[in-house]
Amino acid sequence: MHQAEIILNEKVAHSIYLLRLRANKVAEGANPGQFLHVKCTKGPHPLLRRPFSIAGAHREEGTADIIYRVVGEGTSILSKKRPGEVLDIMGPLGRGFPLPLPGTLPLIVGGGVGVAPLLFLAKELNKAGLVGRAFLGFSTAREAFGKEIFETCGFSVELTTDDGTHGKRGFPTELLEDYLKSEKKVKAIVYACGPRMLLLKVKEIAVSFGILAYLSLEERMGCGIGACFGCAVKSAKGGYKKVCWDGPVFEAGEVEIW
Amino acid sequence: MVDLSVKIAGICLKNPVMVASGTFGFAREYSRMFDVNELGAVVTKGITLLPKEGNPPPRLFETTAGLLNSVGLENPGVEGFIRDEWPYLKTLQVPVIVNIAGETVEEYRRITQCLSPLEGISALEVNISCPNVEKGGMAFGRHPDSAYEVVRAVKEQSPFPVIAKLSPNVSDIREIALAVEEAGADAVSLINTILGMAVDVEKKRPVFKRVFAGLSGPAVKPIALRMVYEVYEAVRIPVIGMGGIFSWRDAVEFILAGASAVAVGSAIFSDPVAPLKIIRGLEDYAARNLQTRISDLVGLAHRNAAEF
Repeated sequence: MHQAEIILNEKVAHSIYLLRLRANKVAEGANPGQFLHVKCTKGPHPLLRRPFSIAGAHREEGTADIIYRVVGEGTSILSKKRPGEVLDIMGPLGRGFPLPLPGTLPLIVGGGVGVAPLLFLAKELNKAGLVGRAFLGFSTAREAFGKEIFETCGFSVELTTDDGTHGKRGFPTELLEDYLKSEKKVKAIVYACGPRMLLLKVKEIAVSFGILAYLSLEERMGCGIGACFGCAVKSAKGGYKKVCWDGPVFEAGEVEIW
Repeated sequence: MVDLSVKIAGICLKNPVMVASGTFGFAREYSRMFDVNELGAVVTKGITLLPKEGNPPPRLFETTAGLLNSVGLENPGVEGFIRDEWPYLKTLQVPVIVNIAGETVEEYRRITQCLSPLEGISALEVNISCPNVEKGGMAFGRHPDSAYEVVRAVKEQSPFPVIAKLSPNVSDIREIALAVEEAGADAVSLINTILGMAVDVEKKRPVFKRVFAGLSGPAVKPIALRMVYEVYEAVRIPVIGMGGIFSWRDAVEFILAGASAVAVGSAIFSDPVAPLKIIRGLEDYAARNLQTRISDLVGLAHRNAAEF
């Protein structure tokens, strides 16, 4: 738990914000897929912290980014914070994305604000000399973000929107499926984050093509450190796993997405 | 120098601030964040005889000034607890109170038997108040007779002091408190969560699969405080107060209302070191009020109420 100064907090797309924090520990130790558990106010209301996946870590500057979508009270309060203000954060927390073996093609599938942790992942993959493809989906053009960052990391990017206002009309999972159909011999690994339907579809595709997929899950969280058992996801082996502690990234076969 | 120590059910606490069962896991999780030995006592998550998988998600829902939970007592069972959690817990320098729950009186009895050989348990907290399970839990705590029966059974088997954790979802909590005192409880702790619910307006159905869930947080504090006040007058055994304690001021209110010790629950999710801040705040408060012993404050509001 530490106090982190806000360096910037700006809109990057409709209702999507990028918040940069001065947080050496996060900048140095974070892995893609891990999250920060953020207290949005000083007082007891809203009661719970908000988990945000880390969208970037800048070791030299000692800063880290989160990208969030304004959906409710907590994120609305957060969006009004100004540089210089201080946020109480816990993290980096959770288990992130494992990097692929050399010679494996990373395929990234992101939906909406779920693209955030995948930006960090693309940067780390790039550092490790791995590039691949990114299939990104947004509900509409004005909510799209992140394309250039993937491109800077050497990824080829294809976009979809639900309403066809940007890129292809449809879902990024369709692009993934088309790609895998056309490139039958490729040895790929899939990394996905986004709405539940997207994760479900990615899991189906991964199973049918026999490839490994890692999914980053979202759930309401209490403690953020595996103590309260509040953020449960059904385990494929029976019982539940904790999204905050066992995840938020799971191999698709480990969990049952419903 | 203020003496923060208190004695409850034969256990000496170096300060009156404990953590509430279910919010602090098995202490190991939080030991990575701060020195849990600074707490007055640690209270574990509820343990059942057999492992329990808990309720399907969602399990949490935030409300105005509160938190609804429907975790459903997920826990590794008493054997798993002894194997995986006790080795760490027994290294703690502060009292460890193990919370136990069952579906039948016989289960409570058997869990107690399983735990009896563990040297180092300071007390058992008998959960007769969990609102999130199909059988047992709160069902026992809603009636004086069944509350008596469970506590009696545990008390007969237990080499440790026994604390009964009471449910607020009753018409008169004093009746239950009296029944468990009669059954031999060494202390009572209250309140467990208050039954509530939330409706998902998009899906047009209850948020939780079990429909009702347990409300905690600042929203329940006035109710918890009232119940502590009532129970303090009704029984002679010590009262451990909890329900929406977020600051030292909340803790002082509970102590003045009759709590010999307090427990911090939901506040830990907001601020993991809230209990430590509360301990420091209590010390300052007592010093400002020229109290040398925090225990002298217990129940003072009752005496002073007469002066209105």
